[in-house]
Amino acid sequence: MSSDGKLLELEDLKKWFEIRRGFLSSKVYYVKAVDGVTFSLDEGKAVSLVGESGSGKTTLGKTIIRLYEPNGGRILFQGKDVTHIKANDLKWYRRMTGLVQQDPFGAFASHFTIFRSLEEPLLIHNAVESKEKRAERVFKVLEEVRLTPVEDFAYKYPHMLSGGQLQRVAIARAIILEPKLIIADEPVSMLDASVRIEILTLLRRLQERLRLSVIYITHDLATTRFFSEWALIMYAGHVMEKASTQEVLRNPLHPYTKALLTATPDPNPENRNRFKEVPPGEPPALVNPPICCRFSPRCPLAFDKCFKEEPPEFEATSGHWVKCWLYERS
Amino acid sequence: MGWLSMSSSKHSRGFKGVLQEVLSYKSAVLGVLILVFLIVLSIYTIVTIPLPEAINAWRSSEMWTKNPRNAQPEWIEVFIGKRLPRTITVSLANAEVSRRLLGDGRIAASWVAYFNYDYDDFPSELIVFFNSSYSEKPVVDIYWLRPDGEEFLVKKHTLRRPDDRLYLSNDLGLELRLSGLFESKVGGKPNFMVTVEKGLFAEYSLDPRVLKGRYGIRFETILNENDVFDAELVVYGSVYGLAGTDHLRRPLIIGLLWGTPIAMSFGLTTAILTTVLNLIIGTVSGWYLGKVDTVIQRIVEINAILPFLPILILLTTFYKIDLVVILVSVIVLNIFSLGIKGTRILVMQIKSYPYIEAAQAYGASNGRLILFYVIPKILPPVVPGMISAVPGFVFLEAGLSYLGLGDPFLPTWGKIISDAQSNGAFYKGLYYWVLEPAFMLILTAIAFALIGMALEKIVNPKLKEL
Repeated sequence: MSSDGKLLELEDLKKWFEIRRGFLSSKVYYVKAVDGVTFSLDEGKAVSLVGESGSGKTTLGKTIIRLYEPNGGRILFQGKDVTHIKANDLKWYRRMTGLVQQDPFGAFASHFTIFRSLEEPLLIHNAVESKEKRAERVFKVLEEVRLTPVEDFAYKYPHMLSGGQLQRVAIARAIILEPKLIIADEPVSMLDASVRIEILTLLRRLQERLRLSVIYITHDLATTRFFSEWALIMYAGHVMEKASTQEVLRNPLHPYTKALLTATPDPNPENRNRFKEVPPGEPPALVNPPICCRFSPRCPLAFDKCFKEEPPEFEATSGHWVKCWLYERS
Repeated sequence: MGWLSMSSSKHSRGFKGVLQEVLSYKSAVLGVLILVFLIVLSIYTIVTIPLPEAINAWRSSEMWTKNPRNAQPEWIEVFIGKRLPRTITVSLANAEVSRRLLGDGRIAASWVAYFNYDYDDFPSELIVFFNSSYSEKPVVDIYWLRPDGEEFLVKKHTLRRPDDRLYLSNDLGLELRLSGLFESKVGGKPNFMVTVEKGLFAEYSLDPRVLKGRYGIRFETILNENDVFDAELVVYGSVYGLAGTDHLRRPLIIGLLWGTPIAMSFGLTTAILTTVLNLIIGTVSGWYLGKVDTVIQRIVEINAILPFLPILILLTTFYKIDLVVILVSVIVLNIFSLGIKGTRILVMQIKSYPYIEAAQAYGASNGRLILFYVIPKILPPVVPGMISAVPGFVFLEAGLSYLGLGDPFLPTWGKIISDAQSNGAFYKGLYYWVLEPAFMLILTAIAFALIGMALEKIVNPKLKEL
């Protein structure tokens, strides 16, 4: 099963949430938050998951690290099927993966010191035998994330640190077990603009140095260029477009990606009065969505077929996949 | 939500820090002082009067025959402004004895014993305790010697058994005779009823005034050769010790002292155990949700409408009532208390916090999450609640004792109040009987309430503004 260099492979991954309604919960609906996602990630590479709120990007991230159990499809990690693993296997998988959350202020137990917060993963996995070596490891990761002098930070409580500092600690916690894969779920969206770039640089540098694979979840296309080799554009639980980041940004193919790029703020003041044409409407409700292209209701280029059938992924150019009937080759 | 974030800084201080902060409130200092006093009192009680001894003393009526009945505490004098009589025991050990040999080998003997009586009030009761051995029931003449030199025969008494008791106060014939004597001396009907005590101890005047001075009692009898005669007059006072006595002449101090460790241990045990169990059940319910939660919540709701007292009464008819049975049933009936709902909501709220998700992502087990991540967060409001719950359980124990559902062997505050009530303490004006245990109950309640309130303020700084 294992292919060369592939760390993570997703095959038609699905995460549906159940909602029960009606008398004695007789009716069951599903929120199809992630509905058939396929992609693979090489070791030591970073991929951006881009999409607006409710597109399922966070759910996908959490499903990949098995905070949610998938309803369908498969997750292969280092060639091993981790889709439904339990107990000790799951614990091993937890060690192989790390999570950096969006909200640094909520990410730490307020009654733990920074030291204790960082020590917890080591204790749980019994990763380091002795107390001294645990402390050594904690100080080492704090140094890695540039929180120096480490003694000053280690014994503080979370509320004594700033958002940027806490996010550094969160990154330290994610890498302390030496994982292969990190999910960074909008790691800078709650931080001040001034520290965003520092955190992203830190994450990128660590990724390169420790040969980590990173899944960078964001709604901000601008930062993907800086961060990742690959980009996935998500909309309503589907991956609409996937290609190298450069390719997606320079040559967007899917109407949704184009709209997303148009919506990105333009720093040139000369363009300040230019009207941006953005498709109207909202993303569809994910409870029992229609079986067709999910962007079709808002798509300016939609035609008959778009409202009837869900498009498969077409390889428009080499390594550039689009889920859109416009790129069907007859 | 407020305290969840604000309490965060408290964890760094530890027990010492919390204690220091508690003591920064003056009210809490008072609470701690009272608590320390109660604890010292408990330890003192347990050490000086071991429990079996206390139970024995509380249940024995023989042990206290020489105590006055329903005597007020001695410090009551401060309010009354009179010197109230203590109990005086007049024995024949230091008596003047005279013996005269009669012709038939018998001996005519007499004993005179003196005692000083300079209290401002009359004694409450007079009893003569005999202690003799004889071959033929002797007849004893008892004379009364007043300080004014007057002397008269009180009673001609034939001993019914060797340890006979002569209840002078109950002797109606004596009362009538004394009354007649009084009228003849005063030359008219006095303004008070001449009881035996007043007849013996009052001045000869129209108003009841105690004749202070040296009284004497003389026993005269005729004994056979090997007969032994001993007697003791007990002049019962109207005050006794620090706490007075009850209707069975028992010193209330025993009950008050032993009530302290019982109330404290009952209150603390039930408060701590029910709080801890509620905390665990509420946490499990809020954490696992689903079927476990449904079952727990339905039990809580059913438990909430169960009539607590009738069930307890039912239990006490089936089982031998002792403190442990009551303790266990109170705890069992409180395991699924409504407090669980509050805990459950808090846990559900905490469960949704990002730090829990982060911990799950690095592999923390449910047990670890509950123990180290959730419970420390909900402890801050729970601890003051637990302290504040102690008086409730102390009152409950007292209430149960009052209803006759208490441990029948143990002397407790509730039992004393119950005794007072059933013996008409208020009707007879014996306020001390109710007020003393009530004071102890209130003292305990205040101590815990003051500390609980201070802890609450520390945990929830918003209350400081109130």
